[in-house]
This record gives sequence, C-alpha cells and structure tokens, in this order.
Amino acid sequence: MSELTGVIHDIGYQRYTGPRLGRRHVFGALYLHGVRTAFGLGRSAKAKIFPWLVVAIVLAVAAGLTAVRAQFGETVMTYAQFADAMSWLVIFFVAVAAPELVSRDLRSGVLPLYFSRPLPRGDYALAKLGALATALWLLLGAPQLVMFLGAAFTTGDGMSGVWHELLDLLPGLLYAALWAVVFASIGLLIASLTGKRAFAAGGIVAIFLMTTPVVGVLSIMPSRAINELAFLASPSTLVGGVGTWALGDLLVPEGQGGGMPIGDFGPVYAAAAVLLVAGCVTLLLLRYRKVAAR
Amino acid sequence: MTTISAQPAAPTTPASTLDLAGVSRWYGNVVAVNDVSMRLGPGVTGLLGPNGAGKTTLLHMMAGFLSPSRGTVSLDGEPTWRNPQVYRRLGLVSEREAVHAFLTAYEFVLASAKLHQLPDPAAAARRAIDLVEMADAQDRRIGTYSKGMRQRTRVAAALVHDPQVLLLDEPFNGMDPRQRLHMMTLLHRLGDAGRTILFSSHILEEVEQVSGTVQVMVAGRLAASGDFRTIRRLMTNRPHVFAIHSTDDRALAVALMAEPSVTGVELGRTGLSVKAGDYGAFTRALPKLALRHGIRVRQLLPEDESLESVFSYLVEA
Amino acid sequence: MSTVGWITARGLFGRRRFLMLVPLPLLLVGLAVLCRALGVAPGEWGPAVLVGLGLAVVLPVVALVVGTGVLGAEIEDGTVVHILTKPLPRWQIVLPKLAVATGVSAATVAVPLFAAGTLADSVRLGLALAAASALGALAYSALFLALSLLTRRPVLLGLVYVLIWEGLLGRFADGTRVLSVQQWVIALADRMAPTDLLGTSVSVPVAAVLTALVAVGFTVLAIDRLRSFSVAGETS
Repeated sequence: MSELTGVIHDIGYQRYTGPRLGRRHVFGALYLHGVRTAFGLGRSAKAKIFPWLVVAIVLAVAAGLTAVRAQFGETVMTYAQFADAMSWLVIFFVAVAAPELVSRDLRSGVLPLYFSRPLPRGDYALAKLGALATALWLLLGAPQLVMFLGAAFTTGDGMSGVWHELLDLLPGLLYAALWAVVFASIGLLIASLTGKRAFAAGGIVAIFLMTTPVVGVLSIMPSRAINELAFLASPSTLVGGVGTWALGDLLVPEGQGGGMPIGDFGPVYAAAAVLLVAGCVTLLLLRYRKVAAR
Repeated sequence: MTTISAQPAAPTTPASTLDLAGVSRWYGNVVAVNDVSMRLGPGVTGLLGPNGAGKTTLLHMMAGFLSPSRGTVSLDGEPTWRNPQVYRRLGLVSEREAVHAFLTAYEFVLASAKLHQLPDPAAAARRAIDLVEMADAQDRRIGTYSKGMRQRTRVAAALVHDPQVLLLDEPFNGMDPRQRLHMMTLLHRLGDAGRTILFSSHILEEVEQVSGTVQVMVAGRLAASGDFRTIRRLMTNRPHVFAIHSTDDRALAVALMAEPSVTGVELGRTGLSVKAGDYGAFTRALPKLALRHGIRVRQLLPEDESLESVFSYLVEA
Repeated sequence: MSTVGWITARGLFGRRRFLMLVPLPLLLVGLAVLCRALGVAPGEWGPAVLVGLGLAVVLPVVALVVGTGVLGAEIEDGTVVHILTKPLPRWQIVLPKLAVATGVSAATVAVPLFAAGTLADSVRLGLALAAASALGALAYSALFLALSLLTRRPVLLGLVYVLIWEGLLGRFADGTRVLSVQQWVIALADRMAPTDLLGTSVSVPVAAVLTALVAVGFTVLAIDRLRSFSVAGETS
C-alpha cells in the first residue's frame, strides 16, 4: 500500500509580493481620473449635465463660426479671439469642475486614504492641477480644432491654404493652453480651501466677477500707465494682455487694428502671469502639506 | 449602577394612539414599505428589522416627514402629514446625528422649548437636560461633544415638551453600555407612565431588554407584531428546539424518536437537542415518557425562544 | 418666531463662510474712494463701480451666499429636522429666515453702496441706491430661499441665474432684461434719484411690480414647499 499524502493549503490573508508600478503610474492614474471627473465621465448622469452643457455651447459656437466662414468667407473670430470670447463659459466650467476635483475629497474625508499610500502630497495636488488644466485646454481646443477642420476643408487655396490655417491654429492652441493653466491654478486653489462644493463654486465665480469692474475702473484713471496696466487686475484680461504681447496680430484678423491697449507693458503681463501661476501652485502645495487629513 | 436624578412626569393628558392603516410607500419601482397596518398604544414597542427593511421610512411617515403613497398615518385621528400641530404630542429623535454645533446643549434644548411655546421654557429645558443626565456638560458647545452626548441632547430636545408619543430611530447608536442602560431605563419609565414609545433597532439584545412588544419589518412588509415569545409559538412550521439533560440521555433519545411530536433528536456531549413539531403535545408527552422508562430529566430548556432566533426565522421566511 | 431668527442669525455668523463676504463691500468703497481721490470724473467710474461691481456683482453674490445659507445649509446637514418637528405654522419658519437673510444682505450691500453713491454724485443718489438695493436684496433672498427648497444644489442654480441669465444674456438679449432683478434695482434707483450714471430699458412700474411679485411669490412658494418637506432616509 503506497503512502497517501495530504496537505492543508494556507488560503488566508496573503500579502502581495509581486511587482509594483512606480510613482509615475500613481500620478498618471490620479491625473487620468481627474480629467474624467472634470467631464463627469464615470459618474452619474447628473454629474455630466453642467460640464457637457458648456462643451455643447462652445462647440455650437465654433460650428456656427465655421459655417459663417464657409458661407461668406469672412473670419468673424480668430482662434485666439475665440478663446477670449468664451471666457465666461470657461469660468463657469472651472467653478463646476474644480470643486468636483478637490472639494469632494476634502468633504468626504478620504485624504487619509490618499496620503497613506506611496503618493507624495505634492503629487496629489499637481496631478489634480494637471487634470483640470488639461480639461480646460480640451474645452477650448476642441472647438478650435473644429474651426480648423471646417476652414481646411473649405479653403480655396489647396494645401497652402491648409498650411496657413495650421499656422494660425497652433498659436491659438497655445493661447488656449495659457488660459487653461492660469484659470486652473486659480480655480483649484480656491476650491481646495473648502469642502463644500457650493462655496467653492461661489468663491471662484466671485473672484472673477469682482476683478472685472476693477479693470474697468483702472482703465479710466487719469494716468496712462495705469490704464495700460489695468488689465493685470483680472485674470481674464491678464491672459488677454499676455496674448496681445506674445501673439500680436494673430489675435485680430487683418483689417481690425488694435488688440488690447497695453502699450509697452507686454513683458510685465507675461511676468505677472508666470508669477500668478507660480504663486497659486505654491499655495496649493502648501495647502495640501498642511491640511489636516480629517 | 446608574441612578436617574429626575423622574419623568406622568402625562396629564390621556394616552395617544398612533394608527397606521394600509400604509405603503414606493419610489418609482422600489417599494420601501408594503401595506403596513399597526396600532401603537401606550408602552414601549420595538421596531425591528434588518437594514433596508423600511424602518426609517416608516418612522418618517409616522413623524410627518414623508407622505404615504397609499394608506393613512394618523395620531389620535389626525393625519401626521402637513400638520404641524401634531408635534404638540409627538417627539422625534432622528437617526442622523445632525445638531446645531454652534449652540450649547442648554441653548439648544431651550430653543426647542421656546419653539414649542411652553409656558416656562427655562424650567422645562433644565428638567429635560436632567432627565438625560447632561447637566454637567450643558454649557459647552455641542460641537465639542462625543456622539453619545449629542444623542442624549437630541433626546432631551425631543422630550422637552412632554410628548405623548416619542419616536426614536436607532437611539442606541454610538452609546456606550452605561449610557445605553440609562436610556433604556428612561424609555421603560416613560413607557410605564403611559406614553407611546416606538424605537427602531437592529440590535436584538436592546429590544429584548427594553420591550417585549415588537413589530418586525422585513423587506418593507410587517412580518410579525406582538410579544416575541408568543410569536415564536405561533410559528408552527418551525420545530421548537429543546435542550434536555437527563440521567440516561441515549435511552431517552431512543424513546423520544418513537414519539410522533418529535421530528429529530441529536445526541451531543452536553446533552440532548430535541426538535419538536408540536410544542403542546411534546411538553405533555415528555414527562410520561421519562416516567415510563425510569429516566430523570434534570434540565429542560427551550433553545430558540430568544428574539434572535425568532428574528432569524422571520427574516429567512 | 424670534427663536427661529436667533438660531438662523447665530448659524450665519458662526460659520467662517461669512468672512468671505467681507472683501466685496470693502472693495466697493475702496474703489469709490480711490476714484474720487484721484479726481476721475464720476461719469466715467460711476457706472463701472456702482452698477458693474455694486449691483451686478456684490448684491447678487452676497444675497446668494446669505439666502442659500439661511435654509440650504440646515437642509444639507440635516439640522432642519429640529426646526420642523415643532408645532409652528410653516410661515413662522420661513418669514424670520427671510427677514434675517434680507437684513444681512441689505446691510452688507446698502452701506457701501450708499458711500459709493454719495461719493459719485450726491447723498440722494447714495440713499436711492441703498433703498433700491435693499429691495433687490428682498427679492433675491426670497428667490434663493425658495431655490433652497426646490433643489439640492441651490447655489449652483443661483449662480447659473446670476452669471448666465442676468450676466451673459442680460447683456445681449433685451428680452431677458425684463426678468432680471438687477435691472429692476437699477430702474428703481434711477427713479428715486435720476442720474446719468444709471440707465436701463426696464420701466419703473414694471420693475416695481415685478420686484413685489418675485418677493411675495417666491416666499409663498417656499412656505408651501416647506409644508411638504420630505426626509426619506439617512442620506438626504
């Protein structure tokens, strides 16, 4: 008779000893999740209403502009001007998306769960910021792409016409990226201050609303220098100022002179924008270093 | 040993009855409460049920915070929905522990007393706070309280106007054993004094200790009402289980298997476990059997008359 | 009734969010003082500061934060149950809250507007602006109080109204101006102290009637909704 052997397997709690993905993957996962959250993907239908409403409006405007251009050959707005015109919608989108990204985490007390993983606190903040900036850039860039495609397909100059359009589009996309970065930094910072989404949204809107009349007042002051520097006061006009300096006549179609009257202060605007973004990011990082993980 | 420093006063008005007739509540396709009829009179009743059975929905309908999709909920003949006057006789302690964190306990209960338009709100507030043993901490902000203290503050606010009917949704949540004992004693005394108390729970020991009368809800339906031991006896399709110790277990087991009322016998190290289909017949047959075989029965205990087994039978059914 | 008002006021002032409101009136007065000090013509800075900042931004935002805070905050954290389980007719709950909201909003907005208006033109303009903005605060507060009972996200909807309806559309579509509280306030102030600084296409009788209608109508709506207030489960 042969020996009958038996063994009892240990199927209790097992530690995971396999390979682990690194910090970049963690960052990437959080970033991707952030972009999806900004557009309400992966959530209930109600969460999709506001973001996609804004997307629909900007796309509709872009489609309308493309149709006008195709029909009448007249460029109502350049790509960069389109970004300027949609500023209020961008503000609204930030006011809805930024609280969804950070205020919800603060409110529901999941920050301890995040920070007890191999995720540096700075990474968390930067991933969310990157996600919001990407979402805003997509929001502005997609309609610009629509306008480009429409112009490219109806151009009468063949390949060189398409090439010219492309040369107009690229700075426009860059300009949109500038909008995205500035607004995302400000919006996310304000949203990270409170756990209640309503107040975060109200605060973001209030900041933008408050600063616009200040610009109006400063631009009628007796001093010319102040008039030209007035646009520093509000983020939307600040970005517009940088655009006027950097992109110059790409902001206006030929024939319409002007752009924003910033005189020689272009570099000041650029520096101010950089400082603003850097300041907001620093404060955001400080906030997350300090926030008591409730 | 806890001592209650204040006694609840006997109500000066006649007892109130809470009447539910064919009450149903649905949300689209989901039926939360399904044709529940009950009449709650003076004394303490436990509303028992697993999570999601519809207890909170039922309590909110009784408290006038939800309108029944069908049926009527009335207190002494008056509907509770859209009828603020019913709160003269009704007090509710909801499950959510939300309370104004910026007020002190005394201010909160005093505000409650004033909103009830009591003739002497300050005295009523102090009385209510003494009743729940919150007198030491009453001048601190509620935001600094522990969960159990917040719970007791809410109970005080609900009792300040001496209601005839008190509804409590999971009142023992978050209370430590001493506080729980105190609350149970308080509810007992209120019930004995003639008030109608209904509290919901899914912790069976609490219900067993506070009241014998239960209303069991399972999946939106009322599965059983009344004294739980009586309910157990009514469940004839479940065999009763008895634990028997005797001088000769094996011989007794053989003899019992011949008995028609016995459906199963299990011989264990600690004694016999007997399943009997017919409670009455078995209890009459056992002594005669033991006498005939010369076996002395040392211990006979019903094993499954606890509320827990009643409850699990009802939930499985 | 005063107990409800007292609790509401305590709740408002006890929360940090209230501090958020402080910079707005200060900015208003600050800009007015600055412009006056620098000798800029009132015709130039008046509309931007008084209307652009004061009536278009400060008034609605303050009214929104306060109006949704008096009831919306209690509904959201569940403490409204304590006020509702009392034998009070529901109007005795809504009216004190409305009074607190209107009072706080009006005080926060009327005082700086009075100062700015006086600096811009005359005391008469200052008083007119203060009075009209108080009426506007009443209408806004009633609207936002009712919104708190109609929807779970009253602040967001209120923002949609202020930003998109009054802000965006009001600038481009004349038709929507008739239904904008902001325009009514401008019309009323202009009537009380006629000036070039204020101007609107909405006529004064229409503005007065609509303001009264909104204030009363939404209050009645709020009272009715509060009577049928439902709490389903533990997560409301």
